[in-house]
This record gives sequence, C-alpha cells and structure tokens, in this order.
Amino acid sequence: MKKNSNSIFENEKTLIIKLIDGDQAAFEFVVSEHHNIMLSIARAIVGEAFADEVVQEAWISAIKALPKFEGRSKLKTWLLHIVSNGAKSRVRRENRMISLDEGWESVASDKFDQTGHRLDNVYPWEEATPEALLANEQLQAVIEETFQQLPAHQRAVLTMYDMEGIKMDEICNILDISASNVRVLLHRARTTLHHSIEKYQDKA
Amino acid sequence: MYQCKDIAEEVNNYIEGGLPLTKRIGLFVHFLMCSCCRNYLQQIRSTISVITVTQPKEKSSMDLKALAKELHDACEHHDH
Repeated sequence: MKKNSNSIFENEKTLIIKLIDGDQAAFEFVVSEHHNIMLSIARAIVGEAFADEVVQEAWISAIKALPKFEGRSKLKTWLLHIVSNGAKSRVRRENRMISLDEGWESVASDKFDQTGHRLDNVYPWEEATPEALLANEQLQAVIEETFQQLPAHQRAVLTMYDMEGIKMDEICNILDISASNVRVLLHRARTTLHHSIEKYQDKA
Repeated sequence: MYQCKDIAEEVNNYIEGGLPLTKRIGLFVHFLMCSCCRNYLQQIRSTISVITVTQPKEKSSMDLKALAKELHDACEHHDH
C-alpha cells in the first residue's frame, strides 16, 4: 500500500516524459516513491557511512540516463540496479564488506525441550487481522522500532520482498547474495518482528 | 518426524514454498498434529500482513523535497 501514490504519475511512461520535461512534481513523486528502498539497498551493501552519498550519486546518474531508459524493466527495478551497482563499486573502492552474519541468532533454544517440542503453548493472537493490529498506535511504534533495529541486510530483504514484492532472484542480483542467504535474512527479519509483536501481545 | 523446533526454523520457507516436497509434507503432517505450531504459522502469516500494511521505513534525515529540487536543477543544467 503506497502512501505517496499520485494517480497522475501512476503510468510510468507519463512519469518518465514528465521527468525528462523537468516537471518538479514528477521529481518529488519519484523521489518519495523510491528513495527509501534505494537507501535500504545502499545501506545493506556499503553500510551506513556511505549510503546517503551512494544514493544521491545513483539518483544523479539515473536522471541523466533517463532519456536512454528503454522501459525493458520497470523504472523501480532500473533504479535499484543503478544504486546496487553504485554501492558495489563503492565497496570495492573502499575495500569494505558488510557481514551478512551481523545480527544472526539461532532459534531461541529456551522455547523448546531437548526433543524439540515447545515448552509453552502458543495461542492465536486476539487481534489477528492487520487492520486490528494496526489500529493500535503503540503496536505500530513497536513494529517501527523493531524494524529500525534490524541489521541493514535484513531490512533491505524485508523491504524488497514483503513490502515491494520484488522477486527472490532479483533480490539475489541486487544484493549479490545467494537465494539461501536471502531466505535466511527474510526468516530472521520476520522472526524478530514476530517476537516483538508476541511480546507486545503478552503484555497486553 | 519433524518437531516444533524444525517448524520454528523452516516456517518461512514453508510459507514461501522453498522446501523439497518430502520436507514440506513432513512439516504439514506436524501442523496437523500440533495446534501450537498451527497457531505459530498463523502468527507468522499475520506478522507478514502487518509488515506489508505498516511499511516501516528506513530512518533518514534527508530532506526529500530538497533532493528532488536538486535533481530537477541538475537535470536542467545538464540539458543546457
């Protein structure tokens, strides 16, 4: 569910023409739509320190190259590859690598007995629909805070897969990691968020 | 036989369909027998829905309007 959708620019061809024509509103739209995910990718690949700079450079390259954009992929995919390539060259230049192991924990072993059975019962959540869960502002804050605390790679995978609906193989290309790594990152991110919601439900 | 711990480790692969058929069937059989893991699966599905609806964002102090203006101006200079 996009928060900044603007129906005039929903048609990608129109948006691109407006951008090439120098329409200020089109620039504001495209930046508000895609900046967040571009930043997420840059942070995952190159780290916090260089991410803003990498994304700005990617925007400038993209806007300059826009007249040559052939529409063979979606504008978003094209932008994500530009920022991903920029971040990867920056990693090579700075000779730095962000570890995928950051923030990886095994399944909490205190929840299971020696045979792998759960020690405590799991009950259905009372407010199980997203609408009901979201009607609660405190819970929204918990989700936001937990998301911010996830390692950058997990945030990037969660943003691309669960929020933007980008396919697994595309995510592998963008982040330059294997499908099994993407799956593990997604699992860790969802499990951490589940744990926060669960703790909140227990308190409530 | 798969146990609750296996479910906790594989629940997202189960949802995303990334498991070999025999393992998938094994986990499915566990779900049939274990109400805790059925509830856990439902909680994970709810978590995914909540993420999709909430759309938490990266923290950033960047002024996006200013960035859009900078790009717009850079584009105009580039054209001339």
